[in-house]
Amino acid sequence: MTEKKKGVIYADRVQLTYAKTLEFVSHSVIVVMAVGYLFYLLQLLPLGLPIETIAGNWHLSSAELHDTMQVPCGWSCFSSLSTLLHGDSVSYASVVFLAMATTLCLATAIWAFFSEKNYFYAAMATLQVVVLLLAASGIFSSGR
Amino acid sequence: MRISSIGRRLVPAASAGIAVALLMQAAPLLAAAPHAAEGMAWWGWLIALFVFSFLLGIVAVLAGVGGGVLFVPIVSGFFPFHLDYVRGAGLLVALAGALSAGPPLLRKGLADLKLALPMALVGSVSSIVGALVGLSMQVQNVQLLLGIVIISIAGIMIKAGKSGYPEVKQPDRLSQMMGISGLYYEEYGQHEVSWQVHRTPLGIALFIVIGFIGGMFGLGAGFANVPVFNLLMGVPLKVAVATSGLVLSINGSAAAWVYLFKGAVLPLIAVPSIGGMMLGSKIGAKLLPKVNTRTIRLIVIAILALSGFRSLLKGFGI
Repeated sequence: MTEKKKGVIYADRVQLTYAKTLEFVSHSVIVVMAVGYLFYLLQLLPLGLPIETIAGNWHLSSAELHDTMQVPCGWSCFSSLSTLLHGDSVSYASVVFLAMATTLCLATAIWAFFSEKNYFYAAMATLQVVVLLLAASGIFSSGR
Repeated sequence: MRISSIGRRLVPAASAGIAVALLMQAAPLLAAAPHAAEGMAWWGWLIALFVFSFLLGIVAVLAGVGGGVLFVPIVSGFFPFHLDYVRGAGLLVALAGALSAGPPLLRKGLADLKLALPMALVGSVSSIVGALVGLSMQVQNVQLLLGIVIISIAGIMIKAGKSGYPEVKQPDRLSQMMGISGLYYEEYGQHEVSWQVHRTPLGIALFIVIGFIGGMFGLGAGFANVPVFNLLMGVPLKVAVATSGLVLSINGSAAAWVYLFKGAVLPLIAVPSIGGMMLGSKIGAKLLPKVNTRTIRLIVIAILALSGFRSLLKGFGI
């Protein structure tokens, strides 16, 4: 629904498209995150690493923890179906979904800017998506 | 009616409770490493984290600050988790909060994409750099810098003013070229507000710095976005606050990937923090018209100063 005062629309079509996608994505993220965490905590699926082991080492830095054990990082939870079917991977995947949310919304904004023939902002939104996708590819984080 | 009277009493009590709890915890913890303070079962820490994040969510909304800026210094100071995971969770907390608040603000024309995109583009790149620098530094140095940043934020919150409808006589050329301006309906005064901006190049430069700091410490950075939009660029306060969330969601997302790839996100810690903070923020938003926000803000400034001081001490290895 558009906020109006005597027929005036205060948000343009791009914003309304972005808002609609954002609403759907953010609600989905909340549901996926809650379900994933329940699977993890209640151990409804087998765990890659016991919760007690993670909890016993959460005072270690991320680098030290990775030297000690195989905790999920980047897209590792999707490396194989058997990995993804672990409770901790499901919960981690929900966090990955949260990190992807903005990229999905911006992708719809690119389309909306193009259809409005606003090529300047379409290019800027595309550039922004490229930055986020590069970050999501792990290219900036290599060399650990 | 009953809820509002409960809220009026409960919220200042909750914020004061957080402050007292921190003060009580501070003394023994100042002398010990965080993991040495682990006397509780792991699930006890997670419940405490959820409850704490819930209370922080309420207080953060009422004090007009982002969740991340309170979450990182307090949780890193008083919970047994390594700073890496707290910063990772802090970024995700800020990101989730901004995402869930976004849709209504975009529809009302308060959050403005054309204003947010240029700032987010430069800010997201610098937040990635900030996250990389922060994760490569010694934890003590990060704690020390975090302490300085948090105490500075407390100072900014005391000193910085705000302007509901700043006057922009002449928009700058860059903002005119990019078509950055807008119109929204002010429900409080029942009138339309049109706005335009000036000093855009300086604003963009400052968003580079803000992005870097946000990525480095896992802070939401709304504390800095809003004054730059409002006081520097002349954006009306409500548009500044709403658009800050939009910028934050993009910058936070970019930096979050660095933390994810460096293994600095543990769902065990991140999810209850996000859940607690989001629930608390929703309650806080409902209580907002019914409580004395000035008192809450003062208590939050005190909490921030205390957390900053605690970070400084940890940075000095005390």
